[in-house]
Amino acid sequence: MTIHDLPVATKQTFSVVGKSVKRSDTLEKVTGTAVYAGDIILPGMLHGKIKRCDIAHARIKSIDTSKALALKGVKAVLTHENVPRVLHYGSPHPRSASVTKDQYILDDRVRYWGEGVAAVAAVTEEIAEEALGLIEVEYEPLPAVFTVEDALKPDAPAIHDNGLDENNVLPPVIVERGDIDQGFAEADLIVEGEYDLGRPTAAYMEPNICVTQWDGNGKLTIWSSTQTAFMVRGALAEVLGIPLNKVRVVVDHMGGGFGAKQDLFQHEFLSALLARETARPVRMEFTRKETFFGGRSRHPGKIWLKQGFTKDGRITARQARVVFNSGAYGSHSPGVTNVGTAAMTSLYRCDNIHLEGRAIYTNTPIAGAFRGYGVVQTYFAIDLQVDEAAEKLGFDPAEFKLKNAVREGDIAPSNHPIVGHGLEDCIRRGMAESDWYTVRKAPKGDGVKRRGWGIGCEMHGSSAYPGIKEQGNAIVKMNEDGTVTLLTGTAGLGTGAHTALSQIVAEELGVPFEDIAVVQGDTDVVPWDIGAFASHTTYMGGRAAQIAAADVRRQVLAHAAPMLEAAPEDLTIVDGVIMRTDGSNRSIPLSEAVAPQRGMPAIQLVGVGTYTPTKSYSFGAHFVEVEVDTETGEVAVLQVIPVHEIGKVIHPVAAAGQIEGGIQQGIGHTLSEDYVIDLTNGRSLNPSFVDYKMPLSMDMPPIRTIILETAPDPGGPWGAKGVGEDPIIAIGPAIANAIHDAIGIRFRHYPITPENVLDALRAKMKEA
Amino acid sequence: MTRIVTMTVNGEEHELPSPANRTLLDVLRAEGGLTGTKKGCDVGDCGACTVIMNGKPVNACLVLAVEAEGADILTIEGLQHGPDRPHLLQEKFMEHGGAQCGFCTPGIVMMAKALLDENPAPSEDEIRFALAGNICRCTGYTKIIEAVQDAAEELNKARAQ
Amino acid sequence: MRRFEYYQPETLEEASALMAELGSEASIIAGGTDLLVEIKEELRKPVHVVDIKKLPGLQDYSYDAKTGLRFGALVTARELEIWAPVIEHYPNLRTAVSALGSIQVRNRATVVGNVCRASPSADTIPPLIADGASLSVYNQGSERQIAIEDLFTGPGRTVLVPGDIVTGISVPPSRPQSGRAYIKHGRRKAMELATVGVAVSLERDGDTCTEIRIALGAVAPTPIRARNAEALLRGRAIDPAAFAAIADAAMAESTPISNVRASAAYRRDMVGVLTRRAIGQAMGEV
Repeated sequence: MTIHDLPVATKQTFSVVGKSVKRSDTLEKVTGTAVYAGDIILPGMLHGKIKRCDIAHARIKSIDTSKALALKGVKAVLTHENVPRVLHYGSPHPRSASVTKDQYILDDRVRYWGEGVAAVAAVTEEIAEEALGLIEVEYEPLPAVFTVEDALKPDAPAIHDNGLDENNVLPPVIVERGDIDQGFAEADLIVEGEYDLGRPTAAYMEPNICVTQWDGNGKLTIWSSTQTAFMVRGALAEVLGIPLNKVRVVVDHMGGGFGAKQDLFQHEFLSALLARETARPVRMEFTRKETFFGGRSRHPGKIWLKQGFTKDGRITARQARVVFNSGAYGSHSPGVTNVGTAAMTSLYRCDNIHLEGRAIYTNTPIAGAFRGYGVVQTYFAIDLQVDEAAEKLGFDPAEFKLKNAVREGDIAPSNHPIVGHGLEDCIRRGMAESDWYTVRKAPKGDGVKRRGWGIGCEMHGSSAYPGIKEQGNAIVKMNEDGTVTLLTGTAGLGTGAHTALSQIVAEELGVPFEDIAVVQGDTDVVPWDIGAFASHTTYMGGRAAQIAAADVRRQVLAHAAPMLEAAPEDLTIVDGVIMRTDGSNRSIPLSEAVAPQRGMPAIQLVGVGTYTPTKSYSFGAHFVEVEVDTETGEVAVLQVIPVHEIGKVIHPVAAAGQIEGGIQQGIGHTLSEDYVIDLTNGRSLNPSFVDYKMPLSMDMPPIRTIILETAPDPGGPWGAKGVGEDPIIAIGPAIANAIHDAIGIRFRHYPITPENVLDALRAKMKEA
Repeated sequence: MTRIVTMTVNGEEHELPSPANRTLLDVLRAEGGLTGTKKGCDVGDCGACTVIMNGKPVNACLVLAVEAEGADILTIEGLQHGPDRPHLLQEKFMEHGGAQCGFCTPGIVMMAKALLDENPAPSEDEIRFALAGNICRCTGYTKIIEAVQDAAEELNKARAQ
Repeated sequence: MRRFEYYQPETLEEASALMAELGSEASIIAGGTDLLVEIKEELRKPVHVVDIKKLPGLQDYSYDAKTGLRFGALVTARELEIWAPVIEHYPNLRTAVSALGSIQVRNRATVVGNVCRASPSADTIPPLIADGASLSVYNQGSERQIAIEDLFTGPGRTVLVPGDIVTGISVPPSRPQSGRAYIKHGRRKAMELATVGVAVSLERDGDTCTEIRIALGAVAPTPIRARNAEALLRGRAIDPAAFAAIADAAMAESTPISNVRASAAYRRDMVGVLTRRAIGQAMGEV
């Protein structure tokens, strides 16, 4: 079914959608009754722990587990010698070339400091921990590389044997449009620069955790904190050699993921194997340190970017080379490289483009999927350079960005025409809200502290199309009292997705929001789902739910038509009452219409929705004020005005919450967060919340969130688009540009540390 | 050696077994079945395990269970007035969108409760100061601050009447 | 967390004898906010943990204009943070205790514990050194005083010996015409380990600085006094133009290291900036 012949309502007035109804998942959360994977306590449950290596690249010469096995309370120990050796994907998205198959459960070789080499199950966590210390591993060190520069050298060690040289994870991604030679020839100004990207990490609050249990029929149940329950099911089945109907993945609530919980992290397999071997349930929870070691960061790397501009402010050519550091495994590198590189075709219009994107293996922790998926990096480079060009050409940066902003009909990175003028609307509105011309002209201060304003822009797709051909599914059942049950496979990361989906179902059916119950998070029960990522849940899952609800609506009206002596198309449902639209005032409550009557059973009312989306784009412009302490180099973000255009807003408070949270992470990435690797040995230097510096309550500025609905996309429910990833993309360039406004220095990297600021100020003074 | 630790949890006396090297957090969760208190870092950096011990908010991961002998502990499970009767703070967190993934929420609600017990009319800065040890990675804190402010205002109105 | 034996002595004599007997494999637990983290992260592996929270008298704190501030080994950072005499007379210590972890941590962490842990970056040490505070130490029947300035021998190391139980800290009274400040530098506004901490306590008589003590944290193996810097101001007229030279002297006296939190060069720079700012702030307090 294409989106054009969907039997869904088009409407102007809404009863549930667009209202910040009380989220159906928050009562459990605020009262502490919400069940997360780590809250599952089973009789006889053992505790599993992973032994991790303290070397960045080595072959395992020997592992002696005898002392660990002899410790009282230890029930099983696994090493590469006694687990199945199956090459598998780190993140097994189906029907997609966007992930790499380069991992084993445990290998006889380690490729980064902190990789798991053995696992223990014991009767208590303390005993399991003690047993780890008793496992003796002898390593044969291999040469290791930690930067892409070193990994690309001809004599660099090959970290994987994937048939590609220079440690490439995938063949270079090339994107071409027009003719860049001609474009640069037309340019009056050429700006070139190299942009250096740090290693922020997701740092979700709930460490990676799973509990596994096998039943007497050889069926595995796993409670896991994952965004992609069906993917975990698929990977476990494939690697353990069991059919899909013998694996059940349960995710009720999860404590944040931000994209990074789309992978498998060794422990799912290890926990399942330990549980099978001991015939007891096994719980395996990462410590916070392990969550850093074994988690997934954003891709660090370098971007070389060159653009041509005319005096009248057009962009004539854009050339870029993007090199991402993938870390020890491929994980999402193909997807991130494709999406991040292709994104550079857009945002600011340019007809002549040549882009090259690469991802390179190194012996560092794994980079994976993370909110903004390659685009955070590439738009940081583009927006900063466009800001710089505006200055050089004598334009106001906001005006310059407005002038070059992507427009309706332009070809998007997905190779589809863009719908709507979302970005222009965001820039205009933000300029008005910030009183842009006034604040930009205001004195920066001449004392120790200087202030400045900056603007950063972004656009981001909802759904991973065309990299992945996605599919959203939903089942809607109407019960015989008129209440409704929605079955959805989409995970509840905390975004309020299930509430939004319920609102959509309620709106489509014409029933109160409170009458919708959601069943989710159990792969044995709910329809197949690709997972919660790519800002697509409302757009795709919401549309599938809308289609399923429309199906039920059609069935209900057909059933009720004889009761009201009217054709189904002459009936509607308002607030749970079926009524004729001819003004005759004839109606019947839904609960009555669908109830069993005079000994007759109720009719079966089940609607199924399947939706295969293309892609929509959401837009954003952030306006930021900063204050720079010129003696300490500290940068404080004083206020943020984020303006986002996201089509029809389903739940304003939840949408604003996404934006504000994205800004928090983005401020961190830009100014303080960096997961630092010792470049002499590959060891992580700050795997803790004390030294990995996320902005906390006192660091966060006031945020004045503005959401526009001016460019709805026909692919989403009533034009709704995604918002999850957008905010983290625009904030970084906005801050960097504001720092320039304050002190006249352009930084081309993140995080911009106080030390960097101080050094740059001194260099500038020397020059002057 | 496992000891039996006697403490009052949410108004009820509990006898919970624990070896010396186990924290109050682990014992409340595993032996007490009170899994609302979360483990985010286990070293006192994140505040997800905040409980109120003898009237004061503490990180349950930095208290040995044996140190809690005789203590009076309030956890998130003890805050509401009954099933479906959440505490006003919990109501406000729901209303303002103060909880997203919810993993930090029990700790933050407990910290906010401790704050309002001590300072019924906190300024925004005082709320931010009080919550400095509670990491939330989802919300940017804006909606959490709003929820606490709103709860404080309503509590004060109720008191004035 | 690895296994250990847990003891709860009920008298000072008992605790001291026990610590003397158990020797270097024993650790004292008071607040536990450092010790438990160190055990969990295997930075310290005590076989015996001796809880001193049942010892009588260590929870008291008092202030007297003639004798100054005195608080016992079990007094928490939070108790001092919200206690009026500390807020009024020791704003430097107040700043330090309120910058130590979170309220949850401060409700457990003791100031004596923060001092005895002997971390070069401990927040409470610089202001206590600058104010000339001292420890009371009990060991099997005998008592002695140790100036906090003389306590440290290296990172995590002190002059304390097995059997020593630190019972409390005394801080001299605040003199008229005196001012004090503590400035902590970190990447965030809270939940930080100081990258640099500077405490300044001074007294003035009109335009003359009659006494000044500058203590620096996190820029040497132990917290240190910046004596050369002090000498540039002690007994001299207060001239803001001279502050730069004082700051330079303090920088020269620091020997910071580079690590993931900051480079040595940046730390040294911040010693200069913060010393200047702390002197200004302390002057303002007079």
